[in-house]
Amino acid sequence: MSALRLVGALDPNFGWAGGGRLIDGMCDHAFSAAPDRMVGAYTCIGSSGGGARLTRDPLGLNKLFWAPGDGQAVLFAARPWRLVEAGCRFEDIWSVPAGVDIELDSECGTRRVRWLRPGGWLERRAPSEGSPQSIAERIRAALDGYCAALAEAHPDARIFVCLSGGLDSSGVAALARRHFPEATSVSFDLERGNQFPSADRRAAERLAADLGLPLLRVTVTDEALLAGLDTALSEGIDWRDFNVHAALVNVALARGIAAACDPKELDRVLVLTGDLANEYLSDYHAEQYGGVTYYALPRLPTWALQRVLIRGLETSHREVGPFRAHGLALVQVYAAAVDEYLTLPAPFLADPARKDRLSRMVFGDLIPDYVYARPKTRAQTGDPDAGRGVLGLCVDHGIDHNRLRQRFLELHRVSDPGALDRFIRAGRYRSSLPSFQDTHDGRRHL
Amino acid sequence: MTAVDISERIERFVRTQFRVAPTDTRFSRTQPLFESGYVDSIGVVELLAFISEEFGVSVPDDVLMSEEFATIDGIAIVAYRLYQNGNAKDGASPP
Repeated sequence: MSALRLVGALDPNFGWAGGGRLIDGMCDHAFSAAPDRMVGAYTCIGSSGGGARLTRDPLGLNKLFWAPGDGQAVLFAARPWRLVEAGCRFEDIWSVPAGVDIELDSECGTRRVRWLRPGGWLERRAPSEGSPQSIAERIRAALDGYCAALAEAHPDARIFVCLSGGLDSSGVAALARRHFPEATSVSFDLERGNQFPSADRRAAERLAADLGLPLLRVTVTDEALLAGLDTALSEGIDWRDFNVHAALVNVALARGIAAACDPKELDRVLVLTGDLANEYLSDYHAEQYGGVTYYALPRLPTWALQRVLIRGLETSHREVGPFRAHGLALVQVYAAAVDEYLTLPAPFLADPARKDRLSRMVFGDLIPDYVYARPKTRAQTGDPDAGRGVLGLCVDHGIDHNRLRQRFLELHRVSDPGALDRFIRAGRYRSSLPSFQDTHDGRRHL
Repeated sequence: MTAVDISERIERFVRTQFRVAPTDTRFSRTQPLFESGYVDSIGVVELLAFISEEFGVSVPDDVLMSEEFATIDGIAIVAYRLYQNGNAKDGASPP
Protein backbone atom coordinates (compact mmCIF):
# COMPACT_ATOMS: atom_id res chain seq x y z
CA MET A 1 0.00 0.00 0.00
CA SER A 2 1.31 3.40 -0.92
CA ALA A 3 2.45 5.87 1.68
CA LEU A 4 -0.03 8.72 1.88
CA ARG A 5 1.50 12.08 2.63
CA LEU A 6 -0.35 15.34 3.16
CA VAL A 7 1.52 18.46 2.06
CA GLY A 8 0.34 21.45 4.08
CA ALA A 9 -3.02 21.67 5.79
CA LEU A 10 -6.46 20.99 4.42
CA ASP A 11 -9.12 23.69 4.44
CA PRO A 12 -11.39 23.86 7.49
CA ASN A 13 -14.44 21.64 7.39
CA PHE A 14 -18.05 22.71 7.66
CA GLY A 15 -19.82 19.58 6.53
CA TRP A 16 -23.35 19.00 7.76
CA ALA A 17 -25.77 16.11 7.61
CA GLY A 18 -28.76 17.99 8.99
CA GLY A 19 -29.44 17.92 12.70
CA GLY A 20 -27.88 20.03 15.36
CA ARG A 21 -24.19 19.38 14.78
CA LEU A 22 -21.59 19.64 12.07
CA ILE A 23 -19.91 16.50 10.75
CA ASP A 24 -16.69 15.98 12.65
CA GLY A 25 -13.74 13.60 12.49
CA MET A 26 -14.86 11.28 9.69
CA CYS A 27 -11.29 10.35 8.84
CA ASP A 28 -10.39 9.78 12.46
CA HIS A 29 -12.21 6.47 12.15
CA ALA A 30 -11.20 4.64 9.00
CA PHE A 31 -14.12 2.24 8.92
CA SER A 32 -17.04 4.12 10.41
CA ALA A 33 -20.24 4.65 8.45
CA ALA A 34 -20.45 7.61 6.13
CA PRO A 35 -23.28 10.06 6.80
CA ASP A 36 -26.44 9.52 4.77
CA ARG A 37 -26.09 13.00 3.42
CA MET A 38 -23.38 15.62 3.40
CA VAL A 39 -23.66 19.28 2.48
CA GLY A 40 -21.10 21.96 3.08
CA ALA A 41 -17.37 21.98 2.58
CA TYR A 42 -15.50 18.90 3.78
CA THR A 43 -12.24 17.11 3.08
CA CYS A 44 -10.32 14.77 5.29
CA ILE A 45 -7.50 12.32 5.05
CA GLY A 46 -6.37 10.29 8.00
CA SER A 47 -5.36 6.92 9.33
CA SER A 48 -6.29 4.88 12.37
CA GLY A 49 -6.72 1.29 13.52
CA GLY A 50 -5.12 -0.38 10.51
CA GLY A 51 -6.89 1.73 7.95
CA ALA A 52 -6.89 5.05 6.18
CA ARG A 53 -9.69 7.20 4.91
CA LEU A 54 -10.04 9.94 2.36
CA THR A 55 -13.22 11.95 1.86
CA ARG A 56 -14.33 14.93 -0.21
CA ASP A 57 -17.74 16.63 -0.10
CA PRO A 58 -20.15 16.03 -2.99
CA LEU A 59 -20.07 19.59 -4.32
CA GLY A 60 -16.29 19.65 -4.10
CA LEU A 61 -16.33 22.89 -2.15
CA ASN A 62 -13.14 21.89 -0.34
CA LYS A 63 -10.34 20.96 -2.69
CA LEU A 64 -8.06 17.96 -2.61
CA PHE A 65 -5.41 17.17 -5.18
CA TRP A 66 -2.95 14.32 -5.45
CA ALA A 67 0.16 13.41 -7.40
CA PRO A 68 2.57 10.48 -7.35
CA GLY A 69 5.58 11.08 -5.12
CA ASP A 70 8.87 9.28 -4.74
CA GLY A 71 8.70 5.49 -4.68
CA GLN A 72 5.13 4.46 -4.07
CA ALA A 73 4.18 7.56 -2.12
CA VAL A 74 1.05 9.49 -3.00
CA LEU A 75 1.12 13.15 -2.06
CA PHE A 76 -2.05 15.07 -1.27
CA ALA A 77 -2.64 18.79 -0.89
CA ALA A 78 -5.45 21.32 -0.89
CA ARG A 79 -3.65 23.39 -3.55
CA PRO A 80 -1.77 22.30 -6.65
CA TRP A 81 1.01 24.80 -5.97
CA ARG A 82 1.88 22.96 -2.76
CA LEU A 83 2.42 19.76 -4.74
CA VAL A 84 4.55 21.67 -7.27
CA GLU A 85 6.63 23.08 -4.40
CA ALA A 86 7.00 19.50 -3.11
CA GLY A 87 8.54 18.49 -6.42
CA CYS A 88 5.55 17.21 -8.39
CA ARG A 89 4.92 18.16 -11.99
CA PHE A 90 1.73 20.11 -12.63
CA GLU A 91 0.93 17.67 -15.44
CA ASP A 92 0.90 14.83 -12.89
CA ILE A 93 -1.58 16.50 -10.54
CA TRP A 94 -5.15 15.25 -10.35
CA SER A 95 -8.14 16.31 -8.34
CA VAL A 96 -9.71 13.76 -6.01
CA PRO A 97 -13.26 13.39 -7.37
CA ALA A 98 -15.96 15.26 -5.48
CA GLY A 99 -18.20 13.11 -3.31
CA VAL A 100 -15.78 10.22 -2.88
CA ASP A 101 -15.26 8.40 0.42
CA ILE A 102 -12.37 5.90 0.25
CA GLU A 103 -11.38 3.43 2.93
CA LEU A 104 -8.02 1.70 2.73
CA ASP A 105 -7.33 -1.45 4.75
CA SER A 106 -3.61 -1.80 5.35
CA GLU A 107 -3.91 -5.39 6.53
CA CYS A 108 -5.71 -6.69 3.47
CA GLY A 109 -4.39 -4.11 1.05
CA THR A 110 -7.91 -3.45 -0.16
CA ARG A 111 -9.68 -0.25 -0.82
CA ARG A 112 -13.41 0.46 -0.78
CA VAL A 113 -14.78 3.36 -2.73
CA ARG A 114 -18.11 4.85 -1.76
CA TRP A 115 -19.86 7.79 -3.29
CA LEU A 116 -21.65 10.22 -1.04
CA ARG A 117 -24.08 10.99 -3.87
CA PRO A 118 -25.34 8.85 -6.76
CA GLY A 119 -23.73 9.36 -10.13
CA GLY A 120 -25.22 12.05 -12.32
CA TRP A 121 -27.04 13.67 -9.40
CA LEU A 122 -26.30 17.07 -10.82
CA GLU A 123 -26.95 16.21 -14.44
CA ARG A 124 -30.46 14.81 -14.07
CA ARG A 125 -33.57 16.90 -13.71
CA ALA A 126 -34.61 16.39 -10.11
CA PRO A 127 -38.35 15.99 -9.63
CA SER A 128 -39.86 19.14 -8.28
CA GLU A 129 -41.01 18.64 -4.72
CA GLY A 130 -43.85 20.96 -3.88
CA SER A 131 -44.57 24.58 -4.64
CA PRO A 132 -41.87 27.28 -4.72
CA GLN A 133 -43.28 28.50 -1.40
CA SER A 134 -42.82 25.11 0.26
CA ILE A 135 -39.35 24.79 -1.25
CA ALA A 136 -38.52 28.25 0.08
CA GLU A 137 -39.59 27.18 3.56
CA ARG A 138 -37.28 24.17 3.34
CA ILE A 139 -34.46 26.41 2.14
CA ARG A 140 -34.97 28.66 5.11
CA ALA A 141 -35.08 25.71 7.50
CA ALA A 142 -31.82 24.38 6.06
CA LEU A 143 -30.09 27.75 6.36
CA ASP A 144 -31.29 28.25 9.93
CA GLY A 145 -30.36 24.70 10.88
CA TYR A 146 -26.89 25.09 9.40
CA CYS A 147 -26.28 28.40 11.15
CA ALA A 148 -27.39 26.86 14.43
CA ALA A 149 -25.00 23.94 13.93
CA LEU A 150 -22.18 26.38 13.12
CA ALA A 151 -22.93 28.37 16.27
CA GLU A 152 -22.95 25.17 18.32
CA ALA A 153 -19.61 24.02 16.90
CA HIS A 154 -17.95 27.44 17.16
CA PRO A 155 -19.31 29.14 20.27
CA ASP A 156 -16.28 31.41 20.56
CA ALA A 157 -16.00 32.31 16.89
CA ARG A 158 -15.53 35.89 15.82
CA ILE A 159 -17.97 36.22 12.93
CA PHE A 160 -17.66 38.44 9.88
CA VAL A 161 -20.30 38.57 7.13
CA CYS A 162 -19.40 39.78 3.65
CA LEU A 163 -22.13 42.22 2.68
CA SER A 164 -22.42 43.41 -0.90
CA GLY A 165 -25.91 44.81 -0.35
CA GLY A 166 -27.38 42.29 -2.76
CA LEU A 167 -30.10 39.83 -1.84
CA ASP A 168 -27.91 36.81 -1.23
CA SER A 169 -25.48 38.42 1.18
CA SER A 170 -28.28 40.40 2.79
CA GLY A 171 -30.05 37.16 3.60
CA VAL A 172 -26.92 35.71 5.17
CA ALA A 173 -26.35 38.92 7.13
CA ALA A 174 -29.91 38.80 8.45
CA LEU A 175 -29.46 35.18 9.51
CA ALA A 176 -26.09 35.97 11.07
CA ARG A 177 -27.73 38.67 13.17
CA ARG A 178 -30.03 36.02 14.60
CA HIS A 179 -27.50 33.25 15.19
CA PHE A 180 -24.35 35.25 15.91
CA PRO A 181 -25.33 38.42 17.77
CA GLU A 182 -21.75 39.79 17.78
CA ALA A 183 -21.23 39.49 14.02
CA THR A 184 -19.58 42.27 12.04
CA SER A 185 -20.49 42.96 8.43
CA VAL A 186 -17.82 43.74 5.84
CA SER A 187 -18.15 45.80 2.67
CA PHE A 188 -15.74 46.04 -0.27
CA ASP A 189 -15.18 49.03 -2.49
CA LEU A 190 -12.49 50.47 -4.69
CA GLU A 191 -10.91 53.75 -3.69
CA ARG A 192 -12.59 56.32 -5.87
CA GLY A 193 -11.10 59.57 -4.60
CA ASN A 194 -13.75 62.22 -4.43
CA GLN A 195 -16.27 60.24 -6.39
CA PHE A 196 -19.29 58.49 -5.01
CA PRO A 197 -18.79 55.19 -3.27
CA SER A 198 -20.30 52.30 -5.17
CA ALA A 199 -23.98 51.44 -4.99
CA ASP A 200 -22.97 48.24 -3.18
CA ARG A 201 -21.13 50.23 -0.50
CA ARG A 202 -24.03 52.61 0.01
CA ALA A 203 -26.48 49.69 0.22
CA ALA A 204 -24.25 47.81 2.66
CA GLU A 205 -23.99 50.85 4.92
CA ARG A 206 -27.72 51.29 5.05
CA LEU A 207 -28.46 47.61 5.57
CA ALA A 208 -25.80 47.14 8.24
CA ALA A 209 -27.31 50.04 10.17
CA ASP A 210 -30.83 48.63 9.80
CA LEU A 211 -29.71 45.18 10.93
CA GLY A 212 -27.72 46.60 13.82
CA LEU A 213 -24.46 45.14 12.55
CA PRO A 214 -21.16 47.00 12.82
CA LEU A 215 -19.68 47.55 9.35
CA LEU A 216 -16.02 47.12 8.48
CA ARG A 217 -15.31 49.07 5.31
CA VAL A 218 -12.56 47.54 3.19
CA THR A 219 -11.64 50.15 0.57
CA VAL A 220 -8.61 49.51 -1.61
CA THR A 221 -6.71 51.33 -4.32
CA ASP A 222 -6.38 49.84 -7.77
CA GLU A 223 -2.76 48.99 -7.03
CA ALA A 224 -3.57 47.30 -3.76
CA LEU A 225 -6.24 45.21 -5.45
CA LEU A 226 -3.96 44.10 -8.27
CA ALA A 227 -1.19 43.26 -5.80
CA GLY A 228 -3.36 40.29 -4.81
CA LEU A 229 -3.22 38.73 -8.28
CA ASP A 230 -0.78 35.90 -7.54
CA THR A 231 -2.76 34.95 -4.43
CA ALA A 232 -5.99 35.05 -6.42
CA LEU A 233 -4.52 32.73 -9.04
CA SER A 234 -2.71 30.24 -6.80
CA GLU A 235 -5.19 30.09 -3.93
CA GLY A 236 -8.19 30.43 -6.23
CA ILE A 237 -6.77 27.56 -8.34
CA ASP A 238 -8.11 29.15 -11.50
CA TRP A 239 -7.15 31.55 -14.29
CA ARG A 240 -10.62 32.15 -15.80
CA ASP A 241 -11.35 35.84 -15.66
CA PHE A 242 -14.65 35.89 -13.76
CA ASN A 243 -13.23 33.72 -10.99
CA VAL A 244 -9.98 35.64 -10.79
CA HIS A 245 -11.84 38.96 -10.58
CA ALA A 246 -14.01 37.58 -7.76
CA ALA A 247 -10.92 36.19 -6.05
CA LEU A 248 -9.21 39.61 -6.20
CA VAL A 249 -12.13 41.10 -4.27
CA ASN A 250 -11.89 38.26 -1.77
CA VAL A 251 -8.15 38.73 -1.32
CA ALA A 252 -8.82 42.38 -0.49
CA LEU A 253 -11.62 41.49 1.91
CA ALA A 254 -9.48 38.85 3.59
CA ARG A 255 -6.62 41.31 4.05
CA GLY A 256 -8.99 43.86 5.50
CA ILE A 257 -10.57 41.42 7.94
CA ALA A 258 -7.22 39.99 9.04
CA ALA A 259 -5.91 43.51 9.63
CA ALA A 260 -8.92 44.26 11.82
CA CYS A 261 -8.25 41.25 14.05
CA ASP A 262 -5.70 40.47 16.69
CA PRO A 263 -3.34 37.89 15.09
CA LYS A 264 -3.98 35.58 18.04
CA GLU A 265 -7.69 35.42 17.26
CA LEU A 266 -7.43 34.65 13.53
CA ASP A 267 -7.93 30.93 14.05
CA ARG A 268 -11.35 31.50 15.58
CA VAL A 269 -12.58 33.85 12.87
CA LEU A 270 -15.38 32.61 10.62
CA VAL A 271 -16.31 34.59 7.53
CA LEU A 272 -19.81 34.00 6.18
CA THR A 273 -20.70 34.75 2.57
CA GLY A 274 -23.71 34.69 0.27
CA ASP A 275 -21.76 32.70 -2.30
CA LEU A 276 -23.36 29.82 -4.26
CA ALA A 277 -26.86 31.32 -4.49
CA ASN A 278 -26.11 32.78 -7.93
CA GLU A 279 -25.21 29.31 -9.20
CA TYR A 280 -28.33 27.84 -7.63
CA LEU A 281 -30.51 30.30 -9.54
CA SER A 282 -28.36 30.68 -12.68
CA ASP A 283 -28.11 34.36 -11.83
CA TYR A 284 -25.15 35.21 -14.01
CA HIS A 285 -24.93 37.23 -17.19
CA ALA A 286 -22.33 38.14 -19.73
CA GLU A 287 -20.97 41.65 -19.32
CA GLN A 288 -19.72 44.21 -21.77
CA TYR A 289 -16.69 46.40 -21.28
CA GLY A 290 -15.01 48.43 -23.97
CA GLY A 291 -17.17 46.78 -26.59
CA VAL A 292 -15.98 43.29 -25.62
CA THR A 293 -18.13 40.58 -24.06
CA TYR A 294 -16.85 38.99 -20.88
CA TYR A 295 -18.21 36.24 -18.63
CA ALA A 296 -19.98 34.45 -21.47
CA LEU A 297 -22.17 31.55 -20.40
CA PRO A 298 -23.18 28.35 -22.17
CA ARG A 299 -26.34 28.74 -24.23
CA LEU A 300 -28.57 26.38 -22.29
CA PRO A 301 -32.06 26.44 -20.75
CA THR A 302 -31.95 27.96 -17.27
CA TRP A 303 -32.50 24.64 -15.48
CA ALA A 304 -29.63 23.03 -17.41
CA LEU A 305 -27.41 26.07 -16.82
CA GLN A 306 -28.18 25.75 -13.11
CA ARG A 307 -26.84 22.20 -13.15
CA VAL A 308 -23.73 23.23 -15.05
CA LEU A 309 -23.00 26.10 -12.70
CA ILE A 310 -23.53 23.99 -9.58
CA ARG A 311 -21.37 21.25 -11.11
CA GLY A 312 -18.73 23.90 -11.73
CA LEU A 313 -18.52 24.74 -8.02
CA GLU A 314 -16.15 21.80 -7.80
CA THR A 315 -13.71 23.89 -9.77
CA SER A 316 -12.20 27.17 -8.61
CA HIS A 317 -11.57 28.18 -5.05
CA ARG A 318 -12.18 31.89 -5.55
CA GLU A 319 -13.74 32.34 -2.10
CA VAL A 320 -12.27 29.83 0.32
CA GLY A 321 -8.74 30.00 -1.10
CA PRO A 322 -8.07 33.75 -0.77
CA PHE A 323 -9.47 33.85 2.75
CA ARG A 324 -7.48 30.78 3.80
CA ALA A 325 -4.33 32.42 2.50
CA HIS A 326 -4.84 35.02 5.22
CA GLY A 327 -5.54 32.49 7.95
CA LEU A 328 -9.30 32.90 7.80
CA ALA A 329 -11.97 30.20 7.59
CA LEU A 330 -14.83 30.88 5.19
CA VAL A 331 -18.31 29.37 5.34
CA GLN A 332 -20.57 29.37 2.29
CA VAL A 333 -23.88 29.28 4.13
CA TYR A 334 -26.01 28.47 1.06
CA ALA A 335 -24.16 25.16 0.75
CA ALA A 336 -26.62 23.80 3.32
CA ALA A 337 -29.57 24.20 0.96
CA VAL A 338 -28.28 22.81 -2.34
CA ASP A 339 -30.75 19.93 -2.42
CA GLU A 340 -33.67 22.24 -1.83
CA TYR A 341 -32.60 24.60 -4.60
CA LEU A 342 -32.25 21.66 -6.98
CA THR A 343 -35.95 20.89 -6.60
CA LEU A 344 -37.03 24.28 -7.94
CA PRO A 345 -39.16 23.60 -11.02
CA ALA A 346 -37.85 24.56 -14.45
CA PRO A 347 -40.62 27.15 -15.10
CA PHE A 348 -39.67 28.93 -11.88
CA LEU A 349 -36.01 28.94 -12.87
CA ALA A 350 -36.97 30.47 -16.20
CA ASP A 351 -38.69 33.43 -14.51
CA PRO A 352 -36.50 36.57 -14.75
CA ALA A 353 -37.79 37.59 -11.31
CA ARG A 354 -36.88 34.28 -9.68
CA LYS A 355 -34.21 35.69 -7.36
CA ASP A 356 -36.49 38.37 -6.02
CA ARG A 357 -39.47 36.01 -5.69
CA LEU A 358 -37.52 33.28 -3.93
CA SER A 359 -35.68 35.65 -1.61
CA ARG A 360 -38.98 37.15 -0.47
CA MET A 361 -40.32 33.68 0.23
CA VAL A 362 -37.17 32.60 2.07
CA PHE A 363 -36.33 35.73 4.04
CA GLY A 364 -39.52 37.81 4.01
CA ASP A 365 -39.23 40.84 6.27
CA LEU A 366 -35.74 39.95 7.45
CA ILE A 367 -34.55 41.82 4.37
CA PRO A 368 -35.85 45.40 3.96
CA ASP A 369 -37.82 46.29 0.85
CA TYR A 370 -35.15 48.61 -0.54
CA VAL A 371 -32.79 45.65 -0.93
CA TYR A 372 -35.36 43.83 -3.04
CA ALA A 373 -35.85 46.95 -5.12
CA ARG A 374 -32.13 47.42 -5.92
CA PRO A 375 -30.93 46.67 -9.42
CA LYS A 376 -28.30 43.95 -9.38
CA THR A 377 -24.69 45.11 -9.37
CA ARG A 378 -21.39 43.32 -8.98
CA ALA A 379 -18.02 44.44 -7.68
CA GLN A 380 -16.59 43.01 -10.89
CA THR A 381 -18.59 45.33 -13.11
CA GLY A 382 -19.11 48.46 -10.99
CA ASP A 383 -22.11 50.71 -11.43
CA PRO A 384 -23.04 53.83 -13.42
CA ASP A 385 -22.43 56.24 -10.50
CA ALA A 386 -19.15 54.91 -9.15
CA GLY A 387 -17.59 53.78 -12.37
CA ARG A 388 -15.74 50.67 -13.46
CA GLY A 389 -15.37 47.62 -11.30
CA VAL A 390 -12.69 44.98 -11.06
CA LEU A 391 -13.27 43.79 -14.64
CA GLY A 392 -12.63 47.22 -16.08
CA LEU A 393 -9.69 47.78 -13.79
CA CYS A 394 -8.02 44.56 -14.91
CA VAL A 395 -8.71 45.17 -18.59
CA ASP A 396 -7.40 48.72 -18.38
CA HIS A 397 -4.20 47.41 -16.79
CA GLY A 398 -3.72 44.82 -19.53
CA ILE A 399 -4.58 41.91 -17.25
CA ASP A 400 -6.61 39.98 -19.76
CA HIS A 401 -7.43 36.34 -20.26
CA ASN A 402 -4.04 35.56 -21.85
CA ARG A 403 -2.12 37.30 -19.08
CA LEU A 404 -4.04 35.40 -16.42
CA ARG A 405 -3.31 32.09 -18.12
CA GLN A 406 0.35 32.96 -18.53
CA ARG A 407 0.77 33.97 -14.89
CA PHE A 408 -0.98 30.81 -13.69
CA LEU A 409 1.42 28.75 -15.82
CA GLU A 410 4.39 30.59 -14.31
CA LEU A 411 3.18 30.14 -10.75
CA HIS A 412 2.84 26.40 -11.32
CA ARG A 413 6.08 26.05 -13.33
CA VAL A 414 4.32 24.83 -16.46
CA SER A 415 5.72 25.49 -19.91
CA ASP A 416 3.00 23.93 -22.07
CA PRO A 417 -0.08 26.21 -22.31
CA GLY A 418 -2.11 23.19 -23.39
CA ALA A 419 -1.70 21.80 -19.88
CA LEU A 420 -4.34 24.21 -18.64
CA ASP A 421 -6.97 22.89 -21.03
CA ARG A 422 -6.20 19.41 -19.78
CA PHE A 423 -6.51 20.57 -16.16
CA ILE A 424 -9.91 22.26 -16.37
CA ARG A 425 -12.36 21.24 -19.08
CA ALA A 426 -16.07 21.97 -19.18
CA GLY A 427 -15.77 23.53 -15.74
CA ARG A 428 -14.26 20.42 -14.16
CA TYR A 429 -10.81 19.68 -12.83
CA ARG A 430 -9.04 16.67 -14.25
CA SER A 431 -9.94 14.07 -11.64
CA SER A 432 -9.01 10.52 -10.85
CA LEU A 433 -8.49 8.20 -7.90
CA PRO A 434 -4.95 7.24 -6.92
CA SER A 435 -4.25 3.54 -7.32
CA PHE A 436 -2.47 2.91 -3.98
CA GLN A 437 -0.01 0.30 -5.22
CA ASP A 438 1.91 -2.14 -3.02
CA THR A 439 5.38 -0.94 -2.21
CA HIS A 440 8.34 -2.64 -3.84
CA ASP A 441 9.40 -4.32 -0.58
CA GLY A 442 5.91 -5.74 -0.01
CA ARG A 443 5.37 -3.67 3.09
CA ARG A 444 2.24 -1.71 3.41
CA HIS A 445 2.29 1.80 4.70
CA LEU A 446 -0.34 4.27 5.63
CA MET B 1 -27.72 3.57 -33.68
CA THR B 2 -24.10 3.17 -34.79
CA ALA B 3 -21.02 5.16 -33.96
CA VAL B 4 -21.18 6.58 -37.50
CA ASP B 5 -24.75 7.80 -36.88
CA ILE B 6 -23.58 9.47 -33.69
CA SER B 7 -20.63 11.02 -35.48
CA GLU B 8 -22.93 12.48 -38.14
CA ARG B 9 -25.23 14.00 -35.55
CA ILE B 10 -22.36 15.46 -33.54
CA GLU B 11 -20.86 16.95 -36.69
CA ARG B 12 -24.18 18.55 -37.56
CA PHE B 13 -24.44 20.00 -34.05
CA VAL B 14 -20.89 21.37 -34.05
CA ARG B 15 -21.26 22.93 -37.50
CA THR B 16 -24.47 24.68 -36.51
CA GLN B 17 -23.78 25.56 -32.89
CA PHE B 18 -20.28 26.88 -33.47
CA ARG B 19 -20.95 28.36 -36.91
CA VAL B 20 -18.38 26.44 -38.88
CA ALA B 21 -18.24 27.94 -42.37
CA PRO B 22 -19.40 25.54 -45.11
CA THR B 23 -16.26 26.49 -47.04
CA ASP B 24 -13.93 25.59 -44.17
CA THR B 25 -11.85 22.76 -45.65
CA ARG B 26 -9.83 22.33 -42.48
CA PHE B 27 -12.83 21.15 -40.48
CA SER B 28 -13.40 17.40 -40.38
CA ARG B 29 -14.42 14.64 -38.02
CA THR B 30 -10.78 13.91 -37.27
CA GLN B 31 -9.78 17.48 -36.53
CA PRO B 32 -9.07 18.14 -32.81
CA LEU B 33 -11.97 20.42 -31.90
CA PHE B 34 -10.55 22.12 -28.81
CA GLU B 35 -6.95 22.59 -29.91
CA SER B 36 -7.95 23.99 -33.26
CA GLY B 37 -10.36 26.44 -31.65
CA TYR B 38 -13.63 25.22 -33.11
CA VAL B 39 -15.00 24.57 -29.61
CA ASP B 40 -13.95 26.75 -26.68
CA SER B 41 -14.35 26.14 -22.95
CA ILE B 42 -17.95 27.35 -23.01
CA GLY B 43 -18.63 25.28 -26.09
CA VAL B 44 -17.48 22.08 -24.41
CA VAL B 45 -20.28 22.51 -21.90
CA GLU B 46 -22.79 22.99 -24.71
CA LEU B 47 -21.42 19.91 -26.48
CA LEU B 48 -21.77 17.82 -23.31
CA ALA B 49 -25.33 19.04 -22.86
CA PHE B 50 -26.09 18.06 -26.46
CA ILE B 51 -24.61 14.58 -25.97
CA SER B 52 -26.62 14.14 -22.79
CA GLU B 53 -29.92 15.24 -24.34
CA GLU B 54 -29.41 13.58 -27.72
CA PHE B 55 -28.02 10.21 -26.66
CA GLY B 56 -29.04 9.99 -23.01
CA VAL B 57 -25.50 9.55 -21.72
CA SER B 58 -23.34 11.62 -19.42
CA VAL B 59 -19.61 11.73 -19.98
CA PRO B 60 -17.53 10.80 -16.93
CA ASP B 61 -14.78 13.20 -15.92
CA ASP B 62 -11.96 10.79 -16.72
CA VAL B 63 -13.28 10.29 -20.24
CA LEU B 64 -13.83 14.02 -20.71
CA MET B 65 -10.10 14.57 -20.25
CA SER B 66 -9.01 11.62 -22.38
CA GLU B 67 -7.19 11.96 -25.69
CA GLU B 68 -10.10 10.17 -27.32
CA PHE B 69 -12.49 13.00 -26.43
CA ALA B 70 -10.90 15.41 -28.87
CA THR B 71 -12.28 14.82 -32.36
CA ILE B 72 -15.83 14.30 -33.56
CA ASP B 73 -15.08 10.67 -34.38
CA GLY B 74 -13.41 10.13 -31.02
CA ILE B 75 -16.27 11.76 -29.15
CA ALA B 76 -18.72 9.64 -31.14
CA ILE B 77 -16.91 6.45 -30.15
CA VAL B 78 -17.05 7.55 -26.51
CA ALA B 79 -20.75 8.35 -26.74
CA TYR B 80 -21.45 5.09 -28.56
CA ARG B 81 -19.61 3.07 -25.93
CA LEU B 82 -21.49 4.83 -23.13
CA TYR B 83 -24.76 4.32 -24.97
CA GLN B 84 -24.09 0.61 -25.46
CA ASN B 85 -22.94 0.07 -21.90
CA GLY B 86 -25.73 2.07 -20.35
CA ASN B 87 -23.19 4.43 -18.82
CA ALA B 88 -21.45 1.69 -16.77
CA LYS B 89 -18.50 3.12 -14.80
CA ASP B 90 -15.19 1.59 -13.68
CA GLY B 91 -15.17 3.02 -10.15
CA ALA B 92 -13.29 6.16 -11.08
CA SER B 93 -16.54 8.09 -10.93
CA PRO B 94 -19.90 7.47 -9.31
CA PRO B 95 -21.88 4.48 -10.56
